[in-house]
Amino acid sequence: MKGLYSGFTALAAASMLLAGTALPSPAAAKEIVINMAAPDWLPTRFMQEEFNRTYKAKSGNDVKLVIDFIPWPSFYQRVAASLSSGEKKYQMIVTDSQWLGDFVEGGHYLKLNKYIDKDPELQAIMADMHQVLKDTSSSYPYKSTNYYGFPQFPDNLVTFYRTDLFCNKTERANFQAKYHRALPCYYNEWQDVDWDEWGQIGEFFTRKKGAQLGNGVADDDIYGVAFQAGKGYDFSSMQINTLVWDYGGDIWDETNTKPASGVVNSPIAVKAMQKYLDLLKWAPPVARTGQMDIFVVQDLYMQGKVAAVVDWVGVAGPVVDPKVSKVADRSAFAQSPGTRRPDGSISRWANIGGQPFVLTTWNSEEVVHESLEVVKWWLSTPTQVNFVKHGGGESGMLSVLNDPAYATWAPFSRAFADNLQWQKDIWHIPEFFPLLTEQQEQFDKAITGQISARQALDTVAAFQDKMLREDGRIH
Amino acid sequence: MSAREVRSIGQAGWGRTLGAAAVSILYFFPVLFIILAAFKTRQDILTWPVKFVFTPTLDNFVSVFFRVSVEGGAAEATGFGRYFFNSMFIGGSSVLLALVIGTAAAYGFSRFPLRGNDTYLFMILTTRMMPPIIAIIPIFVLFRIFGLSGTYQGIIALYTAFNLPFSIWMVKSFFDDLDRDIEDAARMDGSGEWRVFRRVCLPQIYAGLAATFVFAVILTWNEFVFALLLTGTETRTVPVQIVRTIGGAMGVDWGLLSALETLFIIPVVLVTFALQNQLLRGVTFGTIRR
Amino acid sequence: MTHIQPLSPPPETIAATPMRRSARGFLGWLMAPERRGPLLVAPAIATLVIVNVFPLLWSYGLSFFNYNAKRIAVPPRWVGLANYTDLFSDADVWGRFVNTAVIVIGSVTLQLIVGFLLALLFAREFPLRRYLLMLVLAPMMLSLSAVGVFFKLFYEPTFGFIPRLVQEFTGQPVVILDTPVKAMAAIVCADAWMWSPFVMLLVLAGLVSVPKYLYEAAEIDRAGAWRRFRTITFPYIRSLLLLALLFRTIETFKIFDVPYVLTEGGPGTSTETVSVYLFRVAFNYFQTGRASALGYIVLFGVIVLTSLYLYAIQTRRSEQP
Repeated sequence: MKGLYSGFTALAAASMLLAGTALPSPAAAKEIVINMAAPDWLPTRFMQEEFNRTYKAKSGNDVKLVIDFIPWPSFYQRVAASLSSGEKKYQMIVTDSQWLGDFVEGGHYLKLNKYIDKDPELQAIMADMHQVLKDTSSSYPYKSTNYYGFPQFPDNLVTFYRTDLFCNKTERANFQAKYHRALPCYYNEWQDVDWDEWGQIGEFFTRKKGAQLGNGVADDDIYGVAFQAGKGYDFSSMQINTLVWDYGGDIWDETNTKPASGVVNSPIAVKAMQKYLDLLKWAPPVARTGQMDIFVVQDLYMQGKVAAVVDWVGVAGPVVDPKVSKVADRSAFAQSPGTRRPDGSISRWANIGGQPFVLTTWNSEEVVHESLEVVKWWLSTPTQVNFVKHGGGESGMLSVLNDPAYATWAPFSRAFADNLQWQKDIWHIPEFFPLLTEQQEQFDKAITGQISARQALDTVAAFQDKMLREDGRIH
Repeated sequence: MSAREVRSIGQAGWGRTLGAAAVSILYFFPVLFIILAAFKTRQDILTWPVKFVFTPTLDNFVSVFFRVSVEGGAAEATGFGRYFFNSMFIGGSSVLLALVIGTAAAYGFSRFPLRGNDTYLFMILTTRMMPPIIAIIPIFVLFRIFGLSGTYQGIIALYTAFNLPFSIWMVKSFFDDLDRDIEDAARMDGSGEWRVFRRVCLPQIYAGLAATFVFAVILTWNEFVFALLLTGTETRTVPVQIVRTIGGAMGVDWGLLSALETLFIIPVVLVTFALQNQLLRGVTFGTIRR
Repeated sequence: MTHIQPLSPPPETIAATPMRRSARGFLGWLMAPERRGPLLVAPAIATLVIVNVFPLLWSYGLSFFNYNAKRIAVPPRWVGLANYTDLFSDADVWGRFVNTAVIVIGSVTLQLIVGFLLALLFAREFPLRRYLLMLVLAPMMLSLSAVGVFFKLFYEPTFGFIPRLVQEFTGQPVVILDTPVKAMAAIVCADAWMWSPFVMLLVLAGLVSVPKYLYEAAEIDRAGAWRRFRTITFPYIRSLLLLALLFRTIETFKIFDVPYVLTEGGPGTSTETVSVYLFRVAFNYFQTGRASALGYIVLFGVIVLTSLYLYAIQTRRSEQP
């Protein structure tokens, strides 16, 4: 690190000499602006604020992180247009993990191995990073040791539930009588909930307006459960993938040795998807339109229309904010359900969410160096702790996750941390967008009742097979 | 003397007002919903029956201008004033530019037809028919080559070109409708071409120009895709800010979105209201006769 | 433009303009009367060529290549007409065109009907008319994405006032966007609501321009309401109606935001329009060449439609006295 650093100083000095400026001095502060493309929301706003407040470049340069906050719905479009036009505007980019392959192949994202190899601090960071995040947010190909990204905000799916309903004495007694199981109230009770029981919860809490509910009366129709079932972007795949993995199926053959048909539409996968569709019966009526995306789920929960939902930690913050949520004072979070294995334990594979951030390929060594310094600052323990406590975020660093107090920093941190080891990711290959779109379309048809789970997965398999063969991935 | 002067609109009384009010308010209801939502809390927005009586809050308008800092420090400005100015400046200049260039072209097409005049006109119209998505990447490249990305000049030039076809077509139809005898008489009296244009033709189509202006403003004011891609942090317009409220930690921020929309339509409403009479006369003018 | 003529030319030179070139060199040549047309038109053409035509030609060229704009290192590969033949034989693409056609026909028809009725309502002078008119004009001033987002809310079975209002009568939760037909109708209604005021404005302008003496004459003839409308009113609004039809068809053909936000093309792909599909191909799949070809097919379709309208306008105009 030190050798590298002085090398940079020499380089900077030489260039200053060439430019005919005043005599170089090691302390000469140079202004370096790092433009970063990021979606406009709390975790990135926090990053900007925290940077402005705390960051001081060790090199003595005047380093500025300028985040270009782009509206979430248009984020991909803006980034893709910038990259493909050769604009070279951004030095760093916050990116969805599944974009990695696409933009790495396009030559836009910088491979970091050579920097990591030279820098013990970065090596320490990589060693401290949770293996799941190394696989899903950093490497390309998936699970390789070619590193590109670092977690900006790792996310996963957790259960949001109403304590006033689930911990209500009468409700608990009634549930016990009807299903011969305990209605989950405490965190550890929820850890034993499988998808079958999730369905029972759904049935149990589906009440008409005016019916008894908790200690009062339902002021509107109430529904048992909800989870994402939307046509947009990945708003059904993330949940369906989760069930497929839970049941022991797969969404593709990662080794690319088998054709997709037989894997994607295996009987297990069909069964898992059928379960997903069955569970939608207990969801609010919007589920039938294929429009119940992660935000609709969140709104339904916050307005008290659903007893329990599965949604991202990234959208859990507002749930406990009394300014926007009717149930802020009676909400708790738990791990999302899974599938019971023969030995009685629960398998809870799920699709990871959140975003890594990466460096781009067209910057000078000096800018790369300063950018990596920003990475180190972001992943340093004080920043990460602050991020979890105040920035609505979570951490992917073991040293932070292993802090005994981690679970208490935010209401959903415990569920997040317990879930992390169970995360997998959707395909990282460059073809991910066509694959995802086709899948979302077929899933939407199944959700809206136009085709069956079997038909949907058959079509998805055939499409995947054709596309991967055409691109020479399956031989 | 033109027959136009004799045209006059029929009269009706308060009875018609009552009927029209019922229909208008029904038609306006979705907009009213948005305006009311700007003064409501999220809970009040997402409730049935729709609340007409509620405790109004200005929180949404405050968050249009100020963002609460994440760690609870001092609120920081959102730069909305800047974006609002950008929208007015970019929209205003491009519409005016398109009107000036378009009026010149329209006068040329109308009074000094080129060979293949109609073909030119049709070609101009076709540039408006292409789905703009196709042009995004080439325009992006073009902007990069000329260093226009993020500048006012770039986006104004782009919007001007978007508004030109419509402006040319509309203004030309006004010129076409003018009585040539008046111009010829002016020429006989010794007026030069510039004077004929400036003192004889132009004053006759002021209403038409006003109508064209309003239509162009409405079409430009809401442009989103190119604003998103080609403006920088300094030159960003309000529509980009509006979409900001449609996804994020809270999905759609209904209150904030409503407040932004409410503020955002005010200038267009004012312009339209001020030019209402011209709007009606102007539109007619271009297309009725002949 | 101020250079076209000196401010106060001697009268006799006007008649003699064609002879008056030379003498003043290039400027004189440039300002000659026969160049007035080109000179006036030049700035507009130049702006359009630089900003519009260049990108259009660029994508026209790309439509003959296999190209992914994200892969800057991979050069475009010439494929001739393959993009076009692929698209023409792709059933998906035709499905999107059918969806678009349904929306265009449904929405434009509805806009013409609603716009026309609204115009009739406002074709008289009455107290508060100026203000009530503004209420009706307001929808088209909203931003497209806001209309999409809010109509999605209005249609939502739990929060939306439209299904909840119906539920008050039926007692059952009402779901609007669950079948292809209803979803299509929902898009058509939202789009027509937004743009009917545009049609209204054009028709209203036509209605108020009918010379009063024609109606007075009709009064004397004791002509019936329908006849009065057919022989007096309609000729005055006919060309405006055609103009409204022309502009609204062009714009609706490109409809993007409302279906993209409201249904995201769903259920399945039943409401996905050509523009939404094009957006996918261009910006999700990044099949830049194919997207360009599709863009040109759309352009061709719109040109054919527009030519038909323009032909209709021309013939109507020549029929009128």
